[in-house]
Parts: sequence; structure tokens; C-alpha cells
Amino acid sequence: MIPSKIDSVFIEITTDFKGVIKRVNAGGFAEKEFIVNESIFFVCPFLIGTLEALPLDEFFSMEGMIITSNSIEFNVDVELFRSKKSISVLIHDRTKVYRFVEQLNQSRNDVFFAKREISEKNKELARLRKVADKANEEKTRFLAMMSHEVRNPLTAILGYTDMISEEPLGDKAKEYIGYLTSAGENLKVIVNDILDLSRIEAGKLELVSEEINIKEIVNNCFVNYKNQQKDKVVVLDLVVSSAISDIVFGDSVRVTQVLSNLLSNALKFTKKGSVSLEVELVYAGKKTTEICFKIVDTGRGMTVEQTAKIFEEYQQNELNDNRVFGGAGLGLSIVKRLVEAMNGTISVFSELNVGSTFSVEIPFKKYIEQQSKSGLSRINLEKMSLKGMRILIVDDDLLNQKITSHFLKKKDVTVVVFNNGLEALEELDNQSFDVVLLDINMPGITGEELIQRKSSFKKNNNTAFIALTGNATQKDRGNYLSLGFSDVIFKPFKSDELIEKISVFFNKF
Amino acid sequence: MIAKKVLLVGNFGVGKTSLIRRFVLSEFSEDYISTIGVRVSSKIVKVGNEEIKLLIWDVAGTNDDEKIPKAYFLGASAAMYVFDLSREETYVNLKNQIEVVQELSGLKNITVVGNKKDLLTSNEIDHLIKTISVPVNLITSAKENENVEDAFTILAKQSLN
Repeated sequence: MIPSKIDSVFIEITTDFKGVIKRVNAGGFAEKEFIVNESIFFVCPFLIGTLEALPLDEFFSMEGMIITSNSIEFNVDVELFRSKKSISVLIHDRTKVYRFVEQLNQSRNDVFFAKREISEKNKELARLRKVADKANEEKTRFLAMMSHEVRNPLTAILGYTDMISEEPLGDKAKEYIGYLTSAGENLKVIVNDILDLSRIEAGKLELVSEEINIKEIVNNCFVNYKNQQKDKVVVLDLVVSSAISDIVFGDSVRVTQVLSNLLSNALKFTKKGSVSLEVELVYAGKKTTEICFKIVDTGRGMTVEQTAKIFEEYQQNELNDNRVFGGAGLGLSIVKRLVEAMNGTISVFSELNVGSTFSVEIPFKKYIEQQSKSGLSRINLEKMSLKGMRILIVDDDLLNQKITSHFLKKKDVTVVVFNNGLEALEELDNQSFDVVLLDINMPGITGEELIQRKSSFKKNNNTAFIALTGNATQKDRGNYLSLGFSDVIFKPFKSDELIEKISVFFNKF
Repeated sequence: MIAKKVLLVGNFGVGKTSLIRRFVLSEFSEDYISTIGVRVSSKIVKVGNEEIKLLIWDVAGTNDDEKIPKAYFLGASAAMYVFDLSREETYVNLKNQIEVVQELSGLKNITVVGNKKDLLTSNEIDHLIKTISVPVNLITSAKENENVEDAFTILAKQSLN
């Protein structure tokens, strides 16, 4: 006697060689479907062809076949045995097992297709990213090129404005020259800001980690703005905590840029009262130190809504701010990104008609041996004379030649000028110079090509060559220094910057 | 009328069930439901003057490392190997996989069909066919009902050989 549970999951049938059911031997699975003297092929179409081909006296099994009983599909495993007289067919109902298999298979395949879809989307994303990167690179290249093209005429504008302002002028002319200077300076800021922003956006901002003197940087910034504020009623204060380390590791250019921008802004929007730069120690560990730079002004201040948007690009608080105060509204956005790139934070507290406080906290790596970096005292540029110095200027831009010559001649320098690298090349074999100021983009031989021939000159092998260029990125600077230039001056430059850089080499003679 | 057992084999998800559904029931569904074991469908086709009842075995799709049970091929008169034109892994080892099917089934000729032609451009298909190491009998689309009937006609003809 077979228990009913087992009885219902199998059926054993005997057929003839044509598939006609001769006997139901045992089991009750789908028994209504298997009728004696009828073909088994009605219920088991998969046996058509198979049954006829069965080998003699060998067990043969087939798994996962489907049969239908009472309009329900069942998954069955089938065992077949062909003897000389008949065929034995044993059918096992394995529906439950196959349902699990089905779920597993379906899940496996779904995962496969989902993975494939993700992979395809990733490929597409990678492709789009490449396109975007390329477009970004093109944009950066375009901006760098435009920046270079703009810097050259800007050098002429600012230089000649400077020269004109030193001439005896009437009041009206002085006023107009003032506007011209202001517009030129504003254009210079915009060019630098756009280039900086594109570099930051392209992830190409490279920070330098070198020994820097925080107190010196702060003091230089302060003195610079103090000099500019001579005629105004706003008091500019500097408070530096004595706990601040002199030398730390950081990027002096970018720290200066941040402080200059914030100080410039504070002075722009403060008509009376004071602007102060306060430098405090936040934290001093064994290896790192964190310094807070606070720029506090008693200017017009901002509303809460204005404060919330102040670090966004192209933000100026009133529609006509950029017309009144200049700039493209990129300054604070760049400052924020620069501070973040230095792992620092920037915050602002402001009250309308009371004033604003910008706080910048930057962590610096400590310099263990507390030494002064250069020991150079600030040079009094105004009184400095470079008498006796012989400087060669090589620049294909006539206006730039004249401005640079003018700045140098004012310091009693003997100046020799050439229009291109080819002419200069000949002269560098004949005359000795203390400094050579070399433009980069020149017809014939470029500044880059010329510096690489330095070792072959008959004279001037030890002369300092300074690149004078509108290619004003840190990458360009690094490239020029690696080619053999002693220093780099970006166009447009001011007289002070030119003289200060040259004076370093004057001291050596 | 004679009955012939024919099999459709190939990797999972290449569209074997869809080809059969399109051929037998004139239906197509975008939903993918994997086949478990074997489902047998039948359709009468005419080859020349002869009517054949094709018993079409829809064999569950396999992975590269899985083999179709040899028992399935017992008594089979023809087999179709289906691959997915849009999935490289389904045809990258085509020559080897067809040899395996030939060995298991004892059949000399296997009908080779590239399905899902609707997912590729004609240029892409031309290029792909050139890179495949075995001759492809037909390029089909179960979704667009392109060449499906022809593919089964080729299969039916082969079942008579």
C-alpha cells in the first residue's frame, strides 16, 4: 500500500512502442489524463520522437518537462525504460522544486540584465564625461589663450596710464586718467577671476606647499591696501596674534589672493569707519596649526538673504554693483573655492548698515624649525636705484617694450631692446647683461626656444632670464622655471612688481 | 503527416521563447520570463508538398558553463542555435558552442540564428556577421516579426534531411 502523499506525486505507465497506454501500474498523479488505449502523446508531447528513439534495456531520464492536467501546468521528471515488449514511463511531479529553480533562475537572469544595464549606463556616462572633459579642456584652453591675448594690450593700457599720470596734467585729465586706471585694474581682476574659476571648475587648481611666512603675507597685504587708502576716511587696522607661527607650509599666492580679495571687498563697501584684518590662532598641534583670518568692516552690511547668496558666482548685492564697484561678481565664489581647496572654511556674519565680518580658517602644516624663510627685508622700491644694471628686453610688442623700458629707465637701468628672439640671439653672444626680460610668444624664435639655447651662448650663460608673459597660469610658470628661467612676471604687471623681481638679481652684483 | 522533434537552444535571454511564441502564437511580449526545463509547442508547417508537425522544444537557456542535457536531443531531427545580436557573450564562443550541440545531438547541421536585429543598425549587423566565425543562417527579430517564419522553415527543411 503506497501512502497517499507519495501516491499523488508520481504515476507509472506502460505503453507500446507507438506510445499507446496499455496499463497504469501505480501512482495517482494526473491519473485522469492517462487513459488506457489512448496515446500518451496527448499528455506528453515531448515523448514524440523520443519514445521511438529510446535505446533498448537502458534507463533514460528527462528533467523539467511540462505536462498539463486540469488546465494546470506541472513540471515533471520522466524516467523511461524500453524492454523488448513495451516501454515503461515513470513520471514524477517536481513542480514545487522547479518553482524554486524558476525563481532562482529568474532572479539570476534579472540580476544579469540589471548588471548589464548598469554597465551600459556607466559606459554611456564615461563617454559623456569624456565629452564634457574635452569641452572643459577646450574652454580652459580658450580662456587661457584669450587671457594671454587680453593681457598684452592691458599691459599697454595700464602702463601708459601710469606713465601719463606722472606727467603734468590738468584736473579734468587727472580725473579721466583715474577712471582709466580704475577700469584697467578692474579688467585685470576680471581676466584673472575668469581664468581662476575655469581652472577650479576643471579641477586643475594646483596648490603649492612651500614654506611661507604668514605674518609677512598678512603685513604685505595690509601695507598694500594701507597705501591705497591714504586719501580716505576709512581706518585700516591690522591685529596679528603673537601666537601665530612665522613659517608654515602653504600657498602664499593663494593665501594672499584670499586676503586681498576680502580686504578689497571690505574697503569697497565701507565709506566710513574701519576695516580691520585680525589674525588669530585657532589651534596649534604638533604638526599642524589652524589660523583664523578675520576681515571686519563697518560698511553697508547685508541682509540675511544677501548673505546667504554671497558666495555664489556672479553675485553682487545690487543690480548695479558691478557697474559701481567693478568686477564680475566672481571674487567671493573663487575665494570660497580657494579656501576649501586649502581644506579651510569661510563664513560671514553681516548686519545691514552695521558691517560684515568674514572669517577664514585655514589649517597649515607646521614648519618644525622656526626659521625665517628669506630674511629679506622689505625693499623700499620707491627710493631704489638700479644704476649700472644692464637689462635686455626682448618683446615683439612695441607698446610693451616702451612701458617696460620706461619703468626700468626710471631706475637708471641701461636698457637694450630687441623685437624678436632672432635678433636677441645674435646680441646675447656679443654683449653681457645682468638680466634678460624675455617675452614668450614671439615670431621666429620664441622665448621658450631661446632659453633652451642659453648654455650655447658665448656670453650671458650665468645671466638671469625672466619670462615676461601673458600665459599666466601656475602651470605655465612651472614650465618656464623648469626650462631655465630664473623668474616669471605675468602681464599686465606694475612697475613695482617688475623692479622688485629684478632687484633680487641686482643684489647679487 | 509526419511529426518532427526540433530544439531551440542557446544562452538565456536570447529570445528562444519569443521566437517560438511569435511563430506559433503570433505573439510577442517585452517581459522576460526565464524558461524552466522544456516547454514543447507544436505547429504544422508546409515544406514543398509535405506537411510537417513541428514539435518545438523550447529548452531553458544556459550559461556558458552549463550544458544542455543530452537526453533532450534524443529523437531530435533538427536544432536551432539562437544568439542575441546585441550581447557579445552569446556569440563570442559560437563555433565552440555549436560543436557542443552537434556532439550532443548527433546532428550534422545546426540552424544558426541571430535574434534581436531590431536593436542594431544594418551597418552594425553587417560588421558583426563578418566577425562571427560560423555562417549565420538568418538574422531575426521576434519583436518586429522579421524572418521568424523563414527561420523555422529552414529548421523544418533541415528536419527532413
